[in-house]
Amino acid sequence: MSYDNVEIEDMEWNEELQAFTYPCPCGDFFQITKDDLQLGEEIARCPSCSLYITVVYNQEDFLRDKDKSKKKDLEPAKQLPISVA
Amino acid sequence: MEEAKRDEEEPKQQQIWSWGAGTEGQLGTGKLEDEYLPQLLHLPFLYSAGSISTLACGGAHAIALTSVGKVFTWGRGTTGQLGHREMLNSLHPKPVSSLQSYVITHVSAGWSHSGFVSEIGLLFTCGDGSFGQLGLGDYRSQSTPVKVDYFANNFVNQIACGMRHSLVMLKGNQVYGFGSGKRGQLGISRDKIKSVNLPQVTCGLEDVQIVSISANGDHSAAISADGHLYTWGRGFAGAADANFPQLSLSSLRCTKAALGWNHGLLLTGDEEVLMLGGNYHGGLCDLEKMSAVKHRSDSSRATLNEVIGLDGVKVVKIAAGAEHSALVTGRTWGWGEHGQLGLGNTNDQTIPQTVSLSPDIQNKEASLNVYCGSGFTFAIRCSREQIYESINPENRTMKSRNVSYKCSAVVSHVKLLSLFPHLQRNVWFGILKASYQ
Repeated sequence: MSYDNVEIEDMEWNEELQAFTYPCPCGDFFQITKDDLQLGEEIARCPSCSLYITVVYNQEDFLRDKDKSKKKDLEPAKQLPISVA
Repeated sequence: MEEAKRDEEEPKQQQIWSWGAGTEGQLGTGKLEDEYLPQLLHLPFLYSAGSISTLACGGAHAIALTSVGKVFTWGRGTTGQLGHREMLNSLHPKPVSSLQSYVITHVSAGWSHSGFVSEIGLLFTCGDGSFGQLGLGDYRSQSTPVKVDYFANNFVNQIACGMRHSLVMLKGNQVYGFGSGKRGQLGISRDKIKSVNLPQVTCGLEDVQIVSISANGDHSAAISADGHLYTWGRGFAGAADANFPQLSLSSLRCTKAALGWNHGLLLTGDEEVLMLGGNYHGGLCDLEKMSAVKHRSDSSRATLNEVIGLDGVKVVKIAAGAEHSALVTGRTWGWGEHGQLGLGNTNDQTIPQTVSLSPDIQNKEASLNVYCGSGFTFAIRCSREQIYESINPENRTMKSRNVSYKCSAVVSHVKLLSLFPHLQRNVWFGILKASYQ
């Protein structure tokens, strides 16, 4: 059974883990990556125990983010073609 | 010199055990491992600063307050919650050097932040500030305790740190909240508040004399001088969130509240334990096995339940982790996956189980105190000599601070006495008797 339902806005982005996190009662963090969210994954797991939470979010928000980040990647590439090669 | 000598001798009368989740160093064992059985700790560095008067256990860190008002911290430090001027974990207790010049009288550990109160009523916070839970007017994290200037002209008595919020009680009993308020845990407004980074007065307690505050997860609680319990924040057992303090059952007389993430424990003046919520691990998931003994007249709030399996045993101390609980005399129950119940396995328990600390712990020489972090537990044993020394009124006056902080059991006796003067004898002897069994 899911330990809790947590809205994505209540999760924190962890740069080091490259994942959204939320406190787990064991002391570790539930984690879910942007890739997971883009794929529609709803379960954030704790690496230290058997508990997991259900993440409440809108998948489209993350698909849009993906498009944006693709564009961003492309822009500097145009200016600096050498670095791409 | 004589003072120092005595301090060195004291630890012989005090023993500390820890168990449960340990992968951040929060058990003080020097290892990064979970422990399924109570581990007797060897903490020479900590002992050199006197005996421990109280512990505060957070998400994955612990704070020890010593008999001379010094503070040691260990465990996870990645957001600065240890106050060691760095964002690093510590496997062993280390002094919080920036507080060396203060005599600290009260400490609290949240999920990833810490609070310290000095004897002259100054408040310091450190750790994760991303929800405003440090009360410093910003959302920055701090790796060394910073004085909360908002209370520069007030005398702070207590701080209670939750997952992402803090409560403060002033001398004069006013209660403030700051940090995340999404579940109503600040009690500062009828409307939903995302977060505030400066303290604001908690509504509805202005005319109540509050004597203690508690916070954990997204829950908040306060106990008044007449033993009434107020709760606010996330609702227990699926009940609606409360945006400001709600009085729980006016006939109830509580002496202590201990909150988890989905449950709360109450210790009554009759040394009985009642539980709020607890439909997760904390569990006692098996609600059918519990006898709901008391209902609030207002049915929108969670009911209070008796804890089964105690068979009338008097309880003197309570503590709650996120999803487990402990009470003195030494029984634990709830979620056990990390061994936080200290029973030698990872099973969950729905009925309080007796934890075996050491062969001589059951004899009549000791009084115990117990503290829960999110997934871990600490127990401290004080010798009988310490208790006698402390409860003897003549000695107490004579030795003042040194003695009254020696054993936290005694500190709570004193509080109880001031709360329930008419119960003085009963409470006093009740506690001692139960402690010695």
